[in-house]
Amino acid sequence: MTVGEIIFFFTVFVTMIGALAAVLARSIVHALLGLITTMFGIAGLYVYLNSTFLAMMEMLVYVGAISILIAFAIMLLGSYSGMSGNLRAVGKLTLAGGTAVVSVYIFFKFVLTNMNPLSFAKYLVTTKDIGRVFTENLVLPFELISLLLVVAIIGAVMLAIIARNVK
Amino acid sequence: MGGLVKLLDTEMVRLAVGLVLALGFVVFNALILTWMERKVAGHMQLRIGPKEVGPFGLIQPLADATKLLGKEILIPKAVDKTLYYLAPILIFIPVIVAFVVIPFDSYLLVKDINVGIVVILAFSSFTVLSILLGGWGSNNKYALIGAIRSVAQNVAYEIPLLLALLSIVMMSGSLSLKTIVEAQKGLWYVFVQPVAFIIYFIASIAETNRTPFDLPEAESELVAGYHTEYSGMMFALFFLAEYTNMFIVSSIAVTFFLGGYNGPFFPGFIWFLAKVYFLVFVIMWFRWTYPRVRFDQLLNISWKALIPLAFLNLLVTGGLLKL
Repeated sequence: MTVGEIIFFFTVFVTMIGALAAVLARSIVHALLGLITTMFGIAGLYVYLNSTFLAMMEMLVYVGAISILIAFAIMLLGSYSGMSGNLRAVGKLTLAGGTAVVSVYIFFKFVLTNMNPLSFAKYLVTTKDIGRVFTENLVLPFELISLLLVVAIIGAVMLAIIARNVK
Repeated sequence: MGGLVKLLDTEMVRLAVGLVLALGFVVFNALILTWMERKVAGHMQLRIGPKEVGPFGLIQPLADATKLLGKEILIPKAVDKTLYYLAPILIFIPVIVAFVVIPFDSYLLVKDINVGIVVILAFSSFTVLSILLGGWGSNNKYALIGAIRSVAQNVAYEIPLLLALLSIVMMSGSLSLKTIVEAQKGLWYVFVQPVAFIIYFIASIAETNRTPFDLPEAESELVAGYHTEYSGMMFALFFLAEYTNMFIVSSIAVTFFLGGYNGPFFPGFIWFLAKVYFLVFVIMWFRWTYPRVRFDQLLNISWKALIPLAFLNLLVTGGLLKL
């Protein structure tokens, strides 16, 4: 086994441990910590696939922004650890099993047949490449996403204004 | 002998040596900065500051450090042990990663990553995360309020900080710190982008939780904020991280706006350190001159003044570059 393979398996191991912790943890903050570990591991996998920029964006957006917002929400609302909705054990098992079956199906049906991850690792994806793709081939989806974000921002501002007027 | 040289030249060894040097520098820098802070504070308040231990009180930080090391680590019963222990360790990750990419000199650089600045910014989110975990894990109201404030503040100020740096990235066309420094051989970017520099500097003071933006640890209302329950060496780790973060934000400012290691006569790293410590001095100057802002003022400065200004600056920069 080469050094690269050892690092790869270690990263996968960290990702899996994080995912398991996110699902199995009793305290919601611990679950969040597991989620962050998983995202960190995924960033590591991006580095392994030779796209450092994507890895750093994963860290910046998911670890830096989204997890912190989740943590913020948990802290403002208080931790309801131990409370898990109205579902009984059977319902939980059905949901978990269903999700597992669907994701395994998708993985084997589409991901494994269409992609060879090692083929990506051969050339370096630079920031310029990514920028070019966004402004040339994928310009319409890119602009649509910006539109969606603008709508979301306006919606948030409207909600805040309405809440203020009610008071 | 030849084999040894070959071994030392490999990437891994370079990284390992760089990290060890970085750790050494972190401690040394914290010693210097605590001394400097007390001296600056003293002189600004018409006192002398430390002077008994060693010449000009230079050995004082060593005495302080020994005291901190010798203190008992008290752990309250109700803490969440995992989070409580993890927080001071996590806060050190961004500190060490940043030292890998900061160019002290044209050759004094552990690794020139082509997305260098993004690496620092991405890892800097661990600082907020560990403050959050520490504040939550302490199971203390003051610590929790401090942590919540810290998050609101950091989320608000990260945006103008990124936008200010982005205008420089647009001008130099690179995310590598070394390329950005090399692009400033003739003219420093601070003269071209004064607005971006001011926005960056204000935002970076807020990001490091320094006065006048030190609400997460406002001692007059929150005891000590997020690290209320930490003692001894565990507190010292938070303390070390804060002082190192001051150094890191100043060195990013120097790299992006003040020409990095460029300068006449002296070797590059002397220029670099001189500029960085001057900015650190300015940050300390702020601390002893300005009163702490109120929390709503703090958020308003960012959302209503800095962010629109940063967007405008970015827009103008983009427009002028296209012309």
